[in-house]
Amino acid sequence: MRILWFVLSPLMALAVGLFFLGLSRRFMARIQWRVGPPLYQPLIDILRQFTQKSVSHGPLFDLGVVLSLASSFIVVLFMPLGGTAPLSSSGGFLVVLYLMLLGPLGIALSGGEAANPNVSIGISRKLILALGYEVPFLMIVLALMTYYGTISIGEIVAAQRESASAIASFPLVFSGIAYLLILPAMLGVRPFEVVGAAQEISSGPAAEYGGPYLALATIQHGLTMFIGISLFVNLLWGGASNPVVFFLKMLVVFAFGFWVNAAFPRLRVEQAVRYLWRWPTLIAFVGLILVATIGR
Amino acid sequence: MDRNQLMKWIKAPTKMAHKYSLNAVYFCTGCGVIEVPPTITSRWDAERFGVVPTATARQANLFLITGYVSVKTLRAIIRTYEQMPEPKYTVGFGSCTINGGMYWDSYNTINQLDKYIPIDGYIAGCMPRPEAIFVAVTHLWTLIDKDMADGYKRYRKNYAAYRANQEMILGEMEWPPIFQTEVATAITEREG
Ligand code: SF4
Repeated sequence: MRILWFVLSPLMALAVGLFFLGLSRRFMARIQWRVGPPLYQPLIDILRQFTQKSVSHGPLFDLGVVLSLASSFIVVLFMPLGGTAPLSSSGGFLVVLYLMLLGPLGIALSGGEAANPNVSIGISRKLILALGYEVPFLMIVLALMTYYGTISIGEIVAAQRESASAIASFPLVFSGIAYLLILPAMLGVRPFEVVGAAQEISSGPAAEYGGPYLALATIQHGLTMFIGISLFVNLLWGGASNPVVFFLKMLVVFAFGFWVNAAFPRLRVEQAVRYLWRWPTLIAFVGLILVATIGR
Repeated sequence: MDRNQLMKWIKAPTKMAHKYSLNAVYFCTGCGVIEVPPTITSRWDAERFGVVPTATARQANLFLITGYVSVKTLRAIIRTYEQMPEPKYTVGFGSCTINGGMYWDSYNTINQLDKYIPIDGYIAGCMPRPEAIFVAVTHLWTLIDKDMADGYKRYRKNYAAYRANQEMILGEMEWPPIFQTEVATAITEREG
């Protein structure tokens, strides 16, 4: 059964990630009173990109994209997607925290090779933004690990299934709210779209990607979205007992994220960091203190 | 529109993908650019046909030059065109790109864009309405279907002539020829 999940969960992540990419375009189009592209538009785009000829800027340019894609796939293996995670026992949450940084790092490595100023600005913005949301995120994570007394995502999910889900239980509700506040920043959607701002810095780190590189970067983007949402569902909304329920829960979180995306304009990068270090950090901190003092 | 016909997708997946995923660089040179925002936003919504604007040349496969081209922007246009990954399609927008239009005897605009980069099709008018862009896109689909949107192949084949034209108007260009001309001809013969 576990062997099967090794194959199934990356495939599910790929399919759902691409579906989310298509759905996000459709969703935005409907909110803007448009018809929008068909749901399978990302597939067409990826097919087109794979058949285009593109230039490479050097070996690191090629390897960086692969690195970020591979790390995203590995993170997926640690996620219990409504079942057991293929790699659940071996390392748990801390590994995920490290591996999640590899995705942007790979893109940064590969983009740095291209020596395009827009790419450099995009990467520095990504790092600043990551600095912004990592602080509250680590507090949330710390609160969860203290509360449940474990560093394994699987055990956190199991503990939530016995009692209520984390976002509905008292001290952890603060962590849940803080997570919801930083979720758009982790997904990189509109109020925090400073990294890939198409109108400002020509889509930032992806500016030099064309052809197959862009296809891989698109897939990576879909996976990042998948990971961000599934992490929320697992950690704070109690996971699910089967993949279908899990997927439905992800859809709800996705709809929330893209509703925010449609409703807000883009912040400047320093405004984004100021916001992230004020309200989410404060709420996450309160949550952490409460968990530390009250406990279970 | 044959986007939903599965057989065509199985028969020629690349061609269909290129048809229904036209990511456009709008080179906003002239007055024509004012027609682009309504085309891509709620009023006409080009995205439902897969036509979306992209930010960089590397991600695009459709090049839309919207209006008169001054000598200074010609340099940028050539660079942008050469950066786009093949296969790529170009569309000239408005009569200015066809023969100079009302800027025919201007001292700092070029008259025929086709002399400097290959154009797959023009949209006539001064200025064309957004509907005309959609007509152009459907024409482009037909051209791609019949393998007639081959501007990028013509560019490779006749690169020496294009480069000579470019140098005539721009003088010394700061980047070397992107194709060795003999090599380019050989590649074209091999790939057809
Ligand atoms: S064709 Fe007409 S509308 Fe278009 S750039 Fe020329 S003068 Fe302007």
